[in-house]
Amino acid sequence: MSTRINRLQIPMEELTINPGSACSGCGAALAARLAFKAIGPNAIRHRIPSCPDATTAHPVATSVLESGGAMLTGTWRGLKAIGRTDVQVVGFFGDGGTYDIGFQSLSAAAERNENIWVIIKDNEAFMNTGNQRSGSTPIFARTSTTPVGSVIKGKQMRKKNIPKIFAAHGIPYLATASVAYPEDLIAKINYGKTVEGFKMLIIQAPCPVGWRYDGAKTIAMARLGVQTGIWPLFEIIDGENFKLNYKPRELKPVTEYLKPQARFRHLTDDNISLIQEDTAKEWETLLKSDELGRVIL
Amino acid sequence: MSFEVMVGNKATATAVKLARVQVASAFPVTPQTTITEYLSDMVANGELDAEFVNVEGELSSHVVVQAASRVGARTFVCTSGPGQLYMHHPMHQTSDNRLPVVMATVHRGNKGMMPDHTDLMSQMWTGWIQLYVEHNQEALDTCLMAYKIAEDDRVRLPLAFGYDGYVLSYTAEPVEIPAQEDVDDWLPPYKASPSILPDEVLPEHLGGSWDRGGPQERWQKHHEVIVNAKDVIVEVNESFGKKFGRSYGNGLIEEYRTEGAEAIIVAMGSLAGTARTAIDRLQDDGLKVGLVKLKCFLPFPKEDFQEIGKKVGAIGMIDRNICLGHGGAAYTQIRNAIYDLEDRPSVLEFIAGMGGKEVRVDDIYKVGEKTLKAAKSGGVSTAEVWV
Repeated sequence: MSTRINRLQIPMEELTINPGSACSGCGAALAARLAFKAIGPNAIRHRIPSCPDATTAHPVATSVLESGGAMLTGTWRGLKAIGRTDVQVVGFFGDGGTYDIGFQSLSAAAERNENIWVIIKDNEAFMNTGNQRSGSTPIFARTSTTPVGSVIKGKQMRKKNIPKIFAAHGIPYLATASVAYPEDLIAKINYGKTVEGFKMLIIQAPCPVGWRYDGAKTIAMARLGVQTGIWPLFEIIDGENFKLNYKPRELKPVTEYLKPQARFRHLTDDNISLIQEDTAKEWETLLKSDELGRVIL
Repeated sequence: MSFEVMVGNKATATAVKLARVQVASAFPVTPQTTITEYLSDMVANGELDAEFVNVEGELSSHVVVQAASRVGARTFVCTSGPGQLYMHHPMHQTSDNRLPVVMATVHRGNKGMMPDHTDLMSQMWTGWIQLYVEHNQEALDTCLMAYKIAEDDRVRLPLAFGYDGYVLSYTAEPVEIPAQEDVDDWLPPYKASPSILPDEVLPEHLGGSWDRGGPQERWQKHHEVIVNAKDVIVEVNESFGKKFGRSYGNGLIEEYRTEGAEAIIVAMGSLAGTARTAIDRLQDDGLKVGLVKLKCFLPFPKEDFQEIGKKVGAIGMIDRNICLGHGGAAYTQIRNAIYDLEDRPSVLEFIAGMGGKEVRVDDIYKVGEKTLKAAKSGGVSTAEVWV
């Protein structure tokens, strides 16, 4: 499991491209900044269509949206073939390219246990093309393809549980992270760097433009996501060993997280109750898993 | 140098081994599947020191080799029919990114299991070089030549070579296998350009974007590179001939008994083999028809057909493909090539062998007869003839 670090142990070197192409308050840009500080310069960053466009000043490989897992595989196998396994193979992808269109190739790369990093910045929609829903979009959220109309109000399906799906693949390391908890995020990258095989870090990346909140509040929003239990922080090793990293005595009510985001503005009391119940139920399962030390899928 | 009677798929796998391919990936699809099995065997037995990546689909197999090529490994991917179509999306990017991936397409038409050329031919818009192969020896030789052409600094483009499923893939023919030392001597190791390794990457390439020109410029530049690749293809064919004792016409087309011909017919792939026998019979019967085997479809050897067009009265193209609603692809190219000649020949269109339909010597004999008739009398219907 990852080893706690303190703020002073966060690497100082900035690897981001400035100015980049991110919106102000972009959670994904912050996720990239933090993750790649820990990854370091000896890496090839892999890109599939996603926002923000330009993040870090690494050499970059790009491919088609559905091919993240295959692209990372190709680079890793190529590096093996040319004797350069020192170079880290890192993908920085969005939820669209991983939960949805890229799921197949990612699942296959996980099954083959390729020695690659998949860092997902989850902003819970296809944001690059203007906020269309993805499998990662939470229930009831407004997006441009799950609008709030007079008949149907927002997305009617729950968010896909990607962590548990990839835990079921038995990958060596999977963790969730948040831009509001940088020490935890970096500790997880540090740990992952010691692991050979398929590593996945899913970072919640609040998007002020898509979620519709004040961009200055990105970190506050991410923090509330964790404190309400909506975005739990945990690690799963070999698809089995489980650790819950952040365990408050009491979770904050989900309304504190939902209310500031206009994508949830239309929610009824029943909607909010459903989300609260879902969150509480999942939290119970995570607490049990943590007690057992083993993930309950 | 050794000698073995082997099926086309084994000839291809053998070439992949000789070329010292470093990363290969493929997904099973008839009639290519046994290539994946030969390669798996070779890697498992330590005969081939390569990463063979089993993937969940052809699109991924393509991206695996695309990425491996980008980072600096020599790569190989193979497919047929629906698998070819499935990887269409990343094919555009492989060529746009100037990655010298080599692909073998074991022809399987888009409407069935049996061979015609619609699988590879329908990829003609992806910016890849396309070569078509007549027999198993040529499959092995062309695979080796493919690397030398694709990796040449004047080209740096991906290349696909196709050969007919079943007819060649699963049919045994005598094949001479060059010695490994001779191949090593002739085909130098591959190096990525530009490099994307962190300690080699140029500062201007950090972050991922580098200037490839304006939006239209990129298309123009890519087009020019492909068109000019003809010179490299010719060079490599000649060099192969000098080193290994076998070459294929000038590398773009191969002429058979065209001296003194009044008309010629053109065929691609294994049909060229059948056509040779038809030509022999035609000439025995006093009919002066010659054969041009079209090996390089893309870039199209316009100039070669212009030269031929000056000497004959008619050209009959046997297309084992059709762009539905348009017609045969090579026919269109030939007609375009000879259009500006002062005394241009008639160009006739024959569609044959679609969906694996048997094409007999007699069918091609009749194609030759009809083409010769057009040469002598002119004024022949331009509608396509389905053989």
